[in-house]
Amino acid sequence: MNRYLKLVHLEVQRFRYVLFGLMALTLIIQSIAIVWTSRNEMSRIREHEAIRAYYAEHPYSFAFAVSNAYFWLAVPILISVVVLALYVFGIWYRDWFGRDTFAYRLLTLPTARRNVYLAKATAILLFVFSMVAFQLLAMPFYQWLFRLAVPADLREPASLAEAVRGSPVFELLIPTDFTQFLIYYGFGIIAVFIVFTAILLERSYRWRGIFYAIVYIAACLAAFFLPLLLPVMDGNHYLYRTEILAIMIGIAILILAASIALGFRLIARKITV
Amino acid sequence: MIELSHVRKRFGFKKVLQDVSFTAEQGQITCLIGLNGAGKSTILKAIMGLTPIQGGAIRIDGRPPGKDMYERVSYIPDHLIVPPSQRLSEALRFMEDFYRSWNPARANELMAFFGLDAKERAGNLSKGTAAKFNLVLGLAQDTDYVIMDEPFSGIDLFSRESVAAVFSSELVGERGVLLTTHEVGEIEFLLDKAVLLRQGTVARSFDCERVRSEEGKSVVDVMREVLLA
Repeated sequence: MNRYLKLVHLEVQRFRYVLFGLMALTLIIQSIAIVWTSRNEMSRIREHEAIRAYYAEHPYSFAFAVSNAYFWLAVPILISVVVLALYVFGIWYRDWFGRDTFAYRLLTLPTARRNVYLAKATAILLFVFSMVAFQLLAMPFYQWLFRLAVPADLREPASLAEAVRGSPVFELLIPTDFTQFLIYYGFGIIAVFIVFTAILLERSYRWRGIFYAIVYIAACLAAFFLPLLLPVMDGNHYLYRTEILAIMIGIAILILAASIALGFRLIARKITV
Repeated sequence: MIELSHVRKRFGFKKVLQDVSFTAEQGQITCLIGLNGAGKSTILKAIMGLTPIQGGAIRIDGRPPGKDMYERVSYIPDHLIVPPSQRLSEALRFMEDFYRSWNPARANELMAFFGLDAKERAGNLSKGTAAKFNLVLGLAQDTDYVIMDEPFSGIDLFSRESVAAVFSSELVGERGVLLTTHEVGEIEFLLDKAVLLRQGTVARSFDCERVRSEEGKSVVDVMREVLLA
């Protein structure tokens, strides 16, 4: 456990500047977006009587500001998603390529190799949830910026939940329904482990491994989506939609277990530098 | 004793090791010798579990390789295996964190011996300096065996002399050393045993001193006979 935690610490340390960079980028771009959109709207209110009259009846809220600024609020999120998605591959391949192949050291540590695998997976999940938590923590700050930009007589209160619902990207990132949150991030976690195992197939078998990895990912996707071919309950058929969803979740859990087991075996017995 | 018994290894359809059997004893310096592509580095990686074998067996003191082996066998590859952004002091701390066999006092002694600056980043080191730091990471562990892959590769004459001096010092001591090198002529006087590889098999394995005294041949002479035949 101790060695596993040290490996997690190592992986987090190696990515910390990129992570802080993404957080800074998110804070800066989203702050500017909220302030610029709000002040722009205030300018329109001052210049046009009709718009002033409209806002007298329907005060401007933080949720409305989020909705107006959704494109520029989404840009840093999408950049972060792309960077983290690439790092799911980079967290392995950076140790193999380049002048100093750190993989030699990781694979000759006096610890079970599955700890190396789990530490990398844990690090990725920590980065993802750190960004999500950072986004959540930034929302009250953006709300404060909004209050600075919009006079009190022209704004109305809005909850953070309403603000999240104001942007489709926020709704995807921070679902207000906990079950949705579990489903989105649960499937994301499973996808990370599937990709990890595919990478280990490639690192173990090289050119043949690329083929095995593609077949493996295709097999996982096929297994996961197979229940969708089942007919839904409509009087003539047997299963309700929720039952089909439950089957898919069960298959996803099996895929997760299989991916982890295969990944452990590959890193312990088959991997080559 | 490090023991390889009928080891077979292929990469795809290419057979790299066909039937390799030899031993490397504790307290001796054993040199794996062969032309480029003979499989020397592959053997060392197989011993360290860095590449799987398709047949045969590898044993360290009678036991198959496992994670505990890395406390008893240290590996010095032919390139630095430290993240480029990491400082040498951080790399030393990493070793202390993970290896119970790590000897910090010896590490400091080796850093001073090689004249290395712990504040330097690994990515900024020259090839020769990186090779020296590699030796620090391998030799500062209190292990029974040290495996080295081309420890003299790409370093200048004077650095090679200081590296060679390490072999006959207490820094190696009674440990078993298994190494590969192309600079056989320069370190021949240090070798106890030589294992000659040709086309994936052991062409000849011999005691260097015995061959010198009984046959009047140097290791290089035997190399010419066997590898160029």
